[in-house]
Amino acid sequence: MHALEAKVLIFGIGVACASCAFAGDTSGTMRVGDMQFGNALDPRGWTPMLYPADPDGMSYLHAGMLRTPTGLPYRFPPAAADVKPLGKATDWTYSGVVELGFIHVGGGRNAEFFRQYADWKSGFALGLLALDFQNAKTGQYVELRGSRLSGDDQFYRLRAGQYGRYRVEAFYRDMPHTVSTNAYPLWNGVGTSDLTLPSPLIAGASTPGQVAAAHAGSSRRTIGLTRTREGIGIEGTVWRNWIGSASVTNEKRSGTRLWGGSMFFNYPFPDNGGVLETVRPIDFRTTDVNLSVRNVGRIWRFMATYTGSFFRNNQDHLNFESPFRLYNVVGTPQVADIKYGQFSLEPDNDYHNVRLDLSRELKGNGQFTVAAAYGTMRQNDALLPPTTCTGTGGIFIAPPVNYTFNCADWNTTNALSQKNANARIDTGLIDTRLTFRPTPTFGWHANLRWYREDNKTRYLAYNPITGQYGYISENGSQGSIVPGESGIFDPRNPLLHSANVTVRNVPYGYTDTLFELGGDWEVAPKQSLSATYTFDHNQPKYRERKRVDDQRIKLAWVARSVGGATIRASYEYASRTGDHYNYDPYKQFFSESLAGFVDPVTGIAAHTVDDMRKYDLSDRTENKARLILTYPWGDSTTLSATFYGSRDRYDTQIGRQNTSTTGATLQWDWQPTPATTMNVYLGAEGTRLGISNVADNESLIGSNIGQTNPSLGGPLYPYANQWWEFDRERNSNAGLSFSHDFGRVRADVSYNYSGSFGHVGYNYASLAALAYHGPNAAAAAGDSFPDNSYRSNSVDLGLSFRFTNQLGMRLFGRYETGSFTDFHYAGFDNTLDYDHRVYTDKGPQRHYSASLVGAMLNVKL
Amino acid sequence: MRVFPLSLAACVLMAATLAAVVAWPGQAGAQQAAPASSAPLTQQDIARMLPATDMGAGHGHGMATYTAATHPGDTSTATSFDAASIPTNPLMPKADPIGSKTCIACHTQENIQASHSLHVASFRAGSERSGPQAACETCHGPGSEHAKNPTAPGSIIAFTHDSKTPPAEQAKVCLGCHAGGARQHWTGSIHELRDLSCTDCHNPMARVSPEGVLAKPSINEVCAGCHQDIRAKFNRRSHMPLPEGQLACTDCHNPHGTITKPLLKTDTVNETCYTCHAEKRGPFLFEHAPVRQNCLNCHDPHGSNQQTLLVAPIPMLCQQCHTMTRHPNDLQTAAGMGTGASPDERVMGRACLSCHTNIHGSNNPSGSKFHK
Repeated sequence: MHALEAKVLIFGIGVACASCAFAGDTSGTMRVGDMQFGNALDPRGWTPMLYPADPDGMSYLHAGMLRTPTGLPYRFPPAAADVKPLGKATDWTYSGVVELGFIHVGGGRNAEFFRQYADWKSGFALGLLALDFQNAKTGQYVELRGSRLSGDDQFYRLRAGQYGRYRVEAFYRDMPHTVSTNAYPLWNGVGTSDLTLPSPLIAGASTPGQVAAAHAGSSRRTIGLTRTREGIGIEGTVWRNWIGSASVTNEKRSGTRLWGGSMFFNYPFPDNGGVLETVRPIDFRTTDVNLSVRNVGRIWRFMATYTGSFFRNNQDHLNFESPFRLYNVVGTPQVADIKYGQFSLEPDNDYHNVRLDLSRELKGNGQFTVAAAYGTMRQNDALLPPTTCTGTGGIFIAPPVNYTFNCADWNTTNALSQKNANARIDTGLIDTRLTFRPTPTFGWHANLRWYREDNKTRYLAYNPITGQYGYISENGSQGSIVPGESGIFDPRNPLLHSANVTVRNVPYGYTDTLFELGGDWEVAPKQSLSATYTFDHNQPKYRERKRVDDQRIKLAWVARSVGGATIRASYEYASRTGDHYNYDPYKQFFSESLAGFVDPVTGIAAHTVDDMRKYDLSDRTENKARLILTYPWGDSTTLSATFYGSRDRYDTQIGRQNTSTTGATLQWDWQPTPATTMNVYLGAEGTRLGISNVADNESLIGSNIGQTNPSLGGPLYPYANQWWEFDRERNSNAGLSFSHDFGRVRADVSYNYSGSFGHVGYNYASLAALAYHGPNAAAAAGDSFPDNSYRSNSVDLGLSFRFTNQLGMRLFGRYETGSFTDFHYAGFDNTLDYDHRVYTDKGPQRHYSASLVGAMLNVKL
Repeated sequence: MRVFPLSLAACVLMAATLAAVVAWPGQAGAQQAAPASSAPLTQQDIARMLPATDMGAGHGHGMATYTAATHPGDTSTATSFDAASIPTNPLMPKADPIGSKTCIACHTQENIQASHSLHVASFRAGSERSGPQAACETCHGPGSEHAKNPTAPGSIIAFTHDSKTPPAEQAKVCLGCHAGGARQHWTGSIHELRDLSCTDCHNPMARVSPEGVLAKPSINEVCAGCHQDIRAKFNRRSHMPLPEGQLACTDCHNPHGTITKPLLKTDTVNETCYTCHAEKRGPFLFEHAPVRQNCLNCHDPHGSNQQTLLVAPIPMLCQQCHTMTRHPNDLQTAAGMGTGASPDERVMGRACLSCHTNIHGSNNPSGSKFHK
């Protein structure tokens, strides 16, 4: 255990023990995470405890089950657990269940979707261990719950306490995540931070043919990670009505993920550059601390919470060898030998947040609530040098045209203006709410919220060794292929004094002020109407707009007795506007803002087209509607449905133009007796996203004053280069589940289908819009990508036998089949190597089937 | 006055009997059929069957009191529930408490089931020392009028579909004990404004879920009762491990009300995401504006048809904003696929992210374009 974790653990325990008294409630739903302990075998995490259902149901006074206020049926309760005394001279009793057995997994071993979050393995498995100890006189209890599919998929949780006084909890869990079962990494050292090429490949000196040959011998690997979490927590009363809670959790996340590797473009430079899909290590550890104290009175309610999170990454970089030789595009002898790439991986970070919540009951059936919070996230990791190259980088053409740089001047941290990141973002929040219900049929509320995110990070890319500004792009590869694109600005060097490169970080932040006013009226018994107006005033920093205003009106109708049905319907209309849109607010972060920058003769190429509107800032109108219907149909049947839709329109010629969603769900539930339940559901949803963009006339770049013109329809962004693209997706779901208890045997059957279909289509003003202009460009482009699809069908069968009150057996099986296509992986089944591109992941299987059978002995303890 | 031990004993006895009956389906069926086949009870029947109240209801005696005199030698401390009060039923303001013994006379099976729930078990703990007030009427209000006329609407505070008690009144009862903490912001929350009652999600009368006194066996099933479309999203190609039982809706949302519209447990969307994805928190030397602003700009946490919960296929996702000169603004077509006429890294595999891999932010001095 790290020293930091030990400290916070001791602190947490100290606070916790100091607060052992009694509590009225727990704060579980206040903290993020660890609310659910289950697995793919039993997503609920306690299903064996719920059967058999009590044949006497809930009441002798009426048949069936009552319904929730909305109209959904309450579930028939399970028969009481066998509670046994723990001893003769004690008030303690216990009950428990253990389900233990064997699972056999068949079918595709690499069925990625089947294993995405489940570590299915043939062998013994602990379905559930549940032990409950209770003292009915004192209200004390101890609960243990656990399940184990494998060493990477298990959980154990211990809770103890006394009702209304305190609760302590400790848990341990492993959660698997399979990212790919179809990965063929080229490199050795997968899982470490240094990827090396296999023999006989030589970094920076291998041909595509040699790479493809070596890659063909790579072994299939599974890429994924495991989250291992453990935590302790306690909640209890500190003094009188003051309730305290403390918890500490620690997570270790280990494994691998697919990653990138950029040695500059390949698409415009055949047999040049390098685009590599690598594998990075995951070696994280995060410790979270949550402390709270609250006081609940009749008039005042107060709560103070502290949240601390401490992230540590044991790998701060990924180095990889690039196999390909790089050539400069001007054809002069290559003086650079750039063969390594590097990524900085996520830095360690600390987070603190303190929040105070205060509520007061007011005369006139009102309440005033204020929440105020301060947060800060910080990291000060040591920075890596701008490059790892050695020798000479860049391009030498002929004296005096020398675009080279000395790697030794940049591959050291002495090349940095600061050795550490010193990055920090502070946040502040004030949220006030006033609610009144002066009469039983009328209420109103007002809400004012202010939130600020202040980025205090400041970084200047200045090299004190050379007196130059900027950085080394793509570890030196870009500047060694294209003259003058190393990333360096030098006001003293005529070759570099017009290089417009990033020299400062952009400390994005924003201030958001939101006001809301709403009222609701009970227009008839069990019917209410409400209207809410919201004004959201956002002030982004260093963005294209300094002010974005979103006004929203929402109307809602709730009817809880329309022929016995409950209807909740809402409609909202929103309009977003803002101040002047500056298409290029970033000049201050580029070298063009520095003294000594010389405008090139042909000017500086426009940053982007001025008609572009980024979708989080552009003017927009939005319409949304939703209707949720719950209809109790007789005593034992329930129909429920949801209808929803949204339409967004963005007022722009370039950028996101519209989105829409239309969907519906329909569900039928039937539970005629405690022994029988049945459920059928259907769902469908269609979405559409449309965008527009314009390809620039690249022939002007660096050679024509026209490159400075940002206008749509101008020389750089001609109308002829405009294009449009839409993504249309359809999703459908269907399912059926049936369960019947025959007495000694209960049968469960369920079937689930999930299907998605994605179609990306496009059109364009002329061929100049296309990325590929070559022969037969129009035919090669077509009008769409091949459709993406994902379908899965699964059938689950279960038979549970009760031999005696204490002993039972569950036999179960699952068969799952699916199909998958995604144009991003087209052709990858044949090869992962395309010229200077090397890919690792072939993508999920196009077809898969997997099965699972198991037998579990169920023993009541 | 020791009502609960007797009922508890009856409970255990009945549970044991039921368990035995369950083992023999033929008998179980017969047992189940018996109450259903009986003729409906008349109000006179019920009145005749009711035991004398154990609290002197209707006689102006008020509630029974646990005293040293009634329980000599008991030096144990009372539980925090002993002081639980009995709420007034606005629809029957003159009703008096009658004690759970009277309630259980009719609601025998309810008593058995409720005895197994955490909620009632906690009330029962130590209640033999405090008298019966911390029982049925603590939630349902004084029962004298209901006992006199059981079918009269609104005679007690009820929490079910046909209840005459408005949801707000129902919630008020629950908040009588459960105010503050996770429910600090219940008032004015979307669930409160949509007339939801606590018992839309919770069923304290039965142990349907081993913890949380939920109305269904798991949190996710409860939420899916209304949010069916959201639940369906978790079946998509990329999703968080909710269907696999590793995650609950309440890991991110607090259905009892928060200061955010989507009922997030933290102050912002990103802070919720950072709780599990702490590596994305940074801050980084070089930030990506939409990432820092809101994770939802690019991800749908409930499920997506794209990789890693993305809201659109790449490069389209990126090209919504990236119209900058040179390589970002070309129309990528089928020609750029691995099987196309001109394979293009901007389409294949991870597409844009093959090079701009550190898209969530880079801490490298040369990482302004997220290449490093």
